[in-house]
Amino acid sequence: MILVNYIASVVLIVLGLYTVCTKKNLIKVVLGLGIVDYGVNMLIVSLGFNDGGTAPIYQMSDLLNGVAPGFFVDPVPQALTLTSIVIGACVDAMALSLVIMIYRKYKSINADDVRRLHG
Amino acid sequence: MIQHFPVLAVMLLFLAAFCVEIFGSHNAGVRNTIVMIAATVAMVLIYALIKPVMIEGQIISYWMGNWEPVSGYAIGIGYEVDQLSLFFALLVVTTFWLSGVYSLGYMSKDHHLGHYYTLYLMLSGSVLGLVMTGDIFNMFVMIEIMTFASVALTAFRNDNEGALEAGFKYLVIGSMGSSFTLTGVALLYGQCHTLNMAQMSAILYQNLTPTSIMALALIVAGFGVKSYIVPFHTPAADAYMAAPTSVSMIFAGMVNKAGVYGMIRVLYTIFNAMDKSTVQMLIVIFGAVTMFIGVTMALTQHDFKRLLAFHSISQIGYVITAIGLGSALGLTGGLFHAMNHTLFKGLLFLTAGAVLYATGTTNLDKLGGLSKKMPKTCICFLIGAFSISGLPPFNGFVSKWLVYQAVYTKAVESGNFVYAIVTVVALVVSVMTLASFIKVTQAVFFGQCPVELKKTQEAPVSMLVPMYIMSALCVLAGLFYPLVNRFLLHPAAQSALNVTNYIDRMLGEGYAANMGVENIQVAPVQFSFWNPIVWLILFVVIFVAAGLVIIGSKEERGKMLQQGVKYDAKYATFFSGEEEMFSQVGGSDLFWGFKTDWKGYYRVLEGLHSGIVTDYAVYTVMATAIITVCMFVFMR
Repeated sequence: MILVNYIASVVLIVLGLYTVCTKKNLIKVVLGLGIVDYGVNMLIVSLGFNDGGTAPIYQMSDLLNGVAPGFFVDPVPQALTLTSIVIGACVDAMALSLVIMIYRKYKSINADDVRRLHG
Repeated sequence: MIQHFPVLAVMLLFLAAFCVEIFGSHNAGVRNTIVMIAATVAMVLIYALIKPVMIEGQIISYWMGNWEPVSGYAIGIGYEVDQLSLFFALLVVTTFWLSGVYSLGYMSKDHHLGHYYTLYLMLSGSVLGLVMTGDIFNMFVMIEIMTFASVALTAFRNDNEGALEAGFKYLVIGSMGSSFTLTGVALLYGQCHTLNMAQMSAILYQNLTPTSIMALALIVAGFGVKSYIVPFHTPAADAYMAAPTSVSMIFAGMVNKAGVYGMIRVLYTIFNAMDKSTVQMLIVIFGAVTMFIGVTMALTQHDFKRLLAFHSISQIGYVITAIGLGSALGLTGGLFHAMNHTLFKGLLFLTAGAVLYATGTTNLDKLGGLSKKMPKTCICFLIGAFSISGLPPFNGFVSKWLVYQAVYTKAVESGNFVYAIVTVVALVVSVMTLASFIKVTQAVFFGQCPVELKKTQEAPVSMLVPMYIMSALCVLAGLFYPLVNRFLLHPAAQSALNVTNYIDRMLGEGYAANMGVENIQVAPVQFSFWNPIVWLILFVVIFVAAGLVIIGSKEERGKMLQQGVKYDAKYATFFSGEEEMFSQVGGSDLFWGFKTDWKGYYRVLEGLHSGIVTDYAVYTVMATAIITVCMFVFMR
C-alpha cells in the first residue's frame, strides 16, 4: 500500500485513455490500450504490497505458535496480475495483427480513413 | 454427482476447442463430430440441472480442487449455479447448439473451418463459464476470453467489406470495457479481501464505502460495454453486420445476454444496490435511451443484418429498463424479454443468414420477392418479426406487456413523472419496431423479385431445422407463458432478489444471517392483461401522435408548394398528388416520409455514428464518467 503507486497507476490509466481517445493512428490506439492495462496491473500489485513484508511461505505450526510474523505480501493480487498481463499481451498481439491486415486492405492506418461502416 | 455437471460442461467445451484444432483441421467429418458431440453433451449436462435447481430449488456449488472455505473465508475458486445462473445458462446452451447445427450448412463453403470451430467452442465455453462462476476474477477472465473469441470471429471472413474494421473497433471498445471491469474488481478485492461473489455480497450488504461505489460504477460500465447499451453500442452494429450470421446469432443470443447477466449479478447480488431510487433511475434512463436510439437508427438502415443489429440494441434497452426498476415484476419482465430476445433475434438472424446464403447479399435495395422462392424461410421470418414487434399470440407480446406493466406500476407507485414518460417511450418504440419490420418484409420477401434473383433456391435442411426449432420456441413461449413463469422466471427473479440462499450455500448455513443479510420472500408475479387506464392512456398517446403527424405534414406540404423548396418526389409521395403518382418508392424506403420529417435528428445521430474508432472511445469514456459521477452524487 503505497500512495505514490496508486497515484501513478491512476495517471497511467488516464494517460492511456487519453491516447485512445485523441490519437488517430491505430497503432497508437493499441499502445494506449496497453498503457491502460499497465496502469491497472500496477494498481492490483500495489493493493497487495506491504512494505517490509515477507513471502507468504509458512508451516501451519509456525502460524499457530505465533513464530511467524503475521506480516507478508498478499500473493493473490500477484496471481491476478500475471493472468491479466498474459491476457493483455494476447489482446495487444491480436490488435496489432488486425492493424496489419487493415493496412493491407485500406492502405492507411489513420482512424479517419478506416470508416467504411458508419451511420 | 450432479454438482460436477456445470464445470464438466465448461471444461468439455474448452477441451473440444483444442481437439478440433489438433485433429479436425483437415478432416471435416472428424471436426463436425467433435463439435456436435461437445455441444450436445454440454447442452444435456445443463438441461439435466433444470429438475434439481429450477423445480426443487437447490443451489449447486463446486469448489475447484476442493479448496473449501476456511473459517468463513473463501480461498478457492468456486462455481455456483443458482436459478438466475441456470436461467442464463439455458439460453446460452440452446443458442450455441442451434448455432452449431446451423454452421454445419452455413459455413460449409468457407475455408479454415478448424479455426472457426475452435473460436466458436471457446466463445461458447467462456460465456457458459461466465454465467455459472461464483468468483469475480474468474468472471473477468471469462469476459476476456469472450471478447477475444468474439473479435476473432467478427473478423473471420476477413475478405468481407468492413470485417477487419468491425473487429478492430470491437476490440478497442471491448478491451476498454474489460479494463474498467478489472479496475473495479481490483478495488473490490482491496475492499473485501476476497474474490468470491457470495462473500462479497455478504460483506457489502448495506455497507457501501466510496471505494466500493467506485468499483460498482466501473463494473456497471464494463458490463454496459458487453451488453451494448447506448452509448457503448457503436461497435455492436458493425460487428453483428460483418460477422458470419451464425456468429451474429451467438452475439445477439448469448454474448449480450452475458452483459445483462453481469449487470443483474452485480447490481442485485453483489451490491444490493437496486433498492436505491437513484440507481434505478440511472439504469432506467440508460435503458430508455438505448431502446429509442436503437430503433430510430434501425428505421433508416439499408442492410438486413445491420438493421437487425440496431433492433438487437433496442430490445436490450427493454431488458435494461425492466431490470433497472428493481421490482419483482420488472425483473420477471426483463428476464422474460431477455429470453424472448434470444429466441426471436436468433431466429431473425438465421433467416437473414439463409437469405445471404441463397442470394449472396443482405442489401435491402437489391433483394425482393423472395417469398415464392424461399417460402419456409419467409414463414420463419414472419414468426420472428411478429414476435419482436409484440403481436399478441407470440412471446414478444407477453414480455413487452410485462415491461410496460412494470414501468407503469412503478410510475404509479413512486409518482415519478419520468417513469410515465419511459412507459410511453416503450410503447412508441414497439410501434416503430413493427414499422421497420414491415419495411424489411416488404423489401426482402414481398414486392418485385429482381432478375438476378430468379434462380434463388430454398436454404438447405441443416439451416432450416434450427429456424423451425426457434420458431416453435417463439410460439410455445407465447402460448404457455404461465408455465415459463412458474418454472423459469419466478425462480430466477426470486434468486436475484433474495441473496440469502446464494451466500449460505457457498459459505455455510447461517453465514448470511450473521452478516445481517435479510431473507426476502418474493411472491409470484401476477399476469394482468387488462387494465382500462392503461388502454386509455395508450389511445390518447396514439391519438396525439397521429394528430401531430397530420398537422406537421400539412404545414410541410404547404411550405413545399409555396416556397418552392427543394422538391423531393419520394417525400411528396407520402402526401399524395397527381404529379407524384409515378414516383417510385423502394421497399427499403418505405419510411422516407418519416425520415425526412426527422432529418435534423437523423443528421445528428448519423454524425455521431461516424465510424471513427476514437470517437467511439470518447463515448465510452464519457459514459463511464457519467455513470461514476451519478453513482457518487446520488449514493452518498
